[in-house]
Amino acid sequence: MQHLDIVDISARYGSHQVLRGISLGVDRGQITSLVGPSGSGKSTLLRVLVGLLPPETGHVSFDGQRIDYSNKKNVKAIRDRFAIVFQQYNLFQNMTALDNVTIAPIKIRKRNRAEVIDEAEELLAKVGLKEKMRSYPDQLSGGQQQRVAIARALALKPELLLLDEVTASLDPELVSEVLDSIRQLAAEGMTMIIVSHEMGFVREVSSTVAFMVDGKMVEVGSPADVFENPKEARTREFVNKILQH
Amino acid sequence: MGYAINFGQVFEYLPYLAGGAWLSLQIAFLAFCGGLVLGLLGAFAKTFGGPILRRIANAYVVFFTNTPQLVQIYFLFFALPEAGILLSSYVAVLIGMTLNAGAYLTEIQRAGFSSVRQTEMEAAETLGMSRWQQVRYVIVPHIARVLFPPLSNHYILMTLGTSMAAIFGVEELTGRALNVNSETFRSIEVFTITGVMYILVTLVASAILGVAGRALFRAKMRIV
Repeated sequence: MQHLDIVDISARYGSHQVLRGISLGVDRGQITSLVGPSGSGKSTLLRVLVGLLPPETGHVSFDGQRIDYSNKKNVKAIRDRFAIVFQQYNLFQNMTALDNVTIAPIKIRKRNRAEVIDEAEELLAKVGLKEKMRSYPDQLSGGQQQRVAIARALALKPELLLLDEVTASLDPELVSEVLDSIRQLAAEGMTMIIVSHEMGFVREVSSTVAFMVDGKMVEVGSPADVFENPKEARTREFVNKILQH
Repeated sequence: MGYAINFGQVFEYLPYLAGGAWLSLQIAFLAFCGGLVLGLLGAFAKTFGGPILRRIANAYVVFFTNTPQLVQIYFLFFALPEAGILLSSYVAVLIGMTLNAGAYLTEIQRAGFSSVRQTEMEAAETLGMSRWQQVRYVIVPHIARVLFPPLSNHYILMTLGTSMAAIFGVEELTGRALNVNSETFRSIEVFTITGVMYILVTLVASAILGVAGRALFRAKMRIV
């Protein structure tokens, strides 16, 4: 049984069909990267998984249990187990880094304050921001904000971490600090689905690479297979294009 | 025949008029606070409510923003007694102004709701926050800052609007000015002084709001 099993998911924004029958399996501790041209539905798939966009058809199972995205309780339950980090960080602007990280465990999960604060300080230290705990988002660089957002997601102790183009809006010199944080998580065995355009990074950390075009899954395989020995013509075309620069 | 200006006689009534100004401030403050709560509920209903709740909130706003405040208070003061509900003039004015403010503040606060960054709301949602938690931790702190200027404007307007209470015999600043006028017949002096007192009252209110605003702009949500 697969840890996460995505079967034939379709989804649309209004009249715009974004996902057309996506299937994908993810094993525990595995890192799956979604790659493909812009508009292929990679981010949308992550949004479906965390219940921000209800799927039209298909279903998702986690540890063999079917997730009912039309059921509020079910969606809330799945958000206890999945965490997402967004491209634009989406930090709460009126809270310090530490407050951003602790709000969900303290106010939503109602966990012990002292314990949560200890953990949050550890998490922020882990992403290299121990000194910035009391800073507000507007006092932090993009890379620092994104690392706070990663710490905020980890504070929920997710079983599955979704990273949605987390380096896409960062200056090049800030990308590596965020990637380092993700590498560390990978080494710890966190199950992740990563949407990224950092192909070198994808190749390095992924156990599986899934190539999507126009809301369809074109090819799924090991990084070596997909990047060096693509089966599909469309994958080859994409790989050739990105290898050119 | 010339009119000899003489403020001396009217100055004797200054403490009396100041008492009226104090009552004006009270009415404005209470009605504004009540209106803020009504407006928050209205904005909440209009933003997140189902079709029925939205329609009710809409009807409320349309009714109270499209009829004169004076008529609304007349209704409470003169029409309700016909139905056996007798309100004192003070209470009728207070309720009328509160309901009216609620309608305007619904619209102002709704605009604040929709100015909240959608991305922050999504983050709140995926962290597992309930609607009320989103309102409390994300929306209200945000709109408190964005809405401060339009809200304080409305508060000043309401302070001046309290002069309407004089029509119903409430002895706030305008009511007391009318009393002094009919005792002294010094109209120019009485209403000049009354005008100056309104200016002082609104300037004081602006100053207080300014200080509160600066505090609010710095106010951040504390979790730990």
